[in-house]
Amino acid sequence: MRHFTFFGGKGGTGKTSCAASYALSLAARGVRTLVVSTDPAHSLADAFDKPIGFQTAPLCPNLWGLEIDAEVEAKKYMKSIQDKMLDLVSAAIVDEIKRQIEIAYMSPGAEEAAIFDKFIELMEAVGRDYDAIVFDTAPTGHTLRLLTLPEILGAWIEHLIEKRRKAMDLMKMAARYDKPLAERIANDPIIQTLTARREKFALARKYLTDPEASIFYFVLNPEKLPILETARAVELLSRHGIAVGGVVVNKVIPADAGPFLEKKRLSQEGYLREIRGRFSSMTIIELPMLDDDIQGMVQLQRISAMMEGLDS
Amino acid sequence: MNKLLKALRTGWEFFVLFHHGTFVDKNMAVVRKEAFDINDNLMLLLFGDYLGIPNPMSYYMLELLPYVADDLEPWERRMQNRKFIIAEKAAQYDFD
Repeated sequence: MRHFTFFGGKGGTGKTSCAASYALSLAARGVRTLVVSTDPAHSLADAFDKPIGFQTAPLCPNLWGLEIDAEVEAKKYMKSIQDKMLDLVSAAIVDEIKRQIEIAYMSPGAEEAAIFDKFIELMEAVGRDYDAIVFDTAPTGHTLRLLTLPEILGAWIEHLIEKRRKAMDLMKMAARYDKPLAERIANDPIIQTLTARREKFALARKYLTDPEASIFYFVLNPEKLPILETARAVELLSRHGIAVGGVVVNKVIPADAGPFLEKKRLSQEGYLREIRGRFSSMTIIELPMLDDDIQGMVQLQRISAMMEGLDS
Repeated sequence: MNKLLKALRTGWEFFVLFHHGTFVDKNMAVVRKEAFDINDNLMLLLFGDYLGIPNPMSYYMLELLPYVADDLEPWERRMQNRKFIIAEKAAQYDFD
């Protein structure tokens, strides 16, 4: 068991079911588990057949659920900025600034950033409120961006701090005869804010790249496109230093499925061989195609025993 | 004696300020200008989206707004008025 377990993959392959049943298996083993959906189109509540919202909801003993709502998180963030602003600047300027905040809120990337903020907040809660967090992520492209964000932003923020420091050094030089000004420059709130932000990114990066702390599982079906996409995603993640622990092959047609599915089953067998070859260094778990939808606790428990194989 | 000391001290303070104003501050103005320029460039990286330059990270930059709010409007004006870069640079080296 790792602190952070991610389930990713192409849309519709069964990420949510896998994440939910794995979380259930952890909870059954007595691990305090939080299962989180980072996909803007949530389906975690549907999988558990219980209401889950943007606030942590208890699902069963040792198991809690959460669906991150980007809009709620962004509103919370803007509220905190406005409150801080009221302490620092005049009311006339606050009105002007509110307009700017609205613009940034609408800008592309805002939703992603809001989700990422919550993501870091949750990571900090591990060990305190929970022993493990299972992430049900959005389809591959979205998630890869989310996970590689700290690396890119870290470098960028470093550059900003450097620039501000240079400006501050020059100003300090010029303010040699003005003691109070020099003092104010030394405690520059902008550098402090940027540094705090950088620390947060560094923390996320530390957790994500530590194979003892986090692990990524891909869910795929024995079909051509999911295999190709997974292979590409595995390569990208390992390039960013994020460990991929294994793949879950979902919807494998059982041998006794009958003549109607026989042809499909034969083609799946070919793809299964390809999966075993391509991902030979990782854990591979095969889940059979079921005759019913996976929904509700009882159904999830059926596959949660199979998901335990990920930890062996 | 005390009076003399006081007068001497006042004289010395005058001298320091005179020296500072005549020789040091003039040079320091160049340094200050440089600092302001770097800061303006930094603002461009932080809040470029207000001038129409997309900034993918504008969301994270919002938390800096409270500290730069006062300077935001003058900065926007300065940036939009930058028509004569050469003249600006020349002024920095006393060629105006």
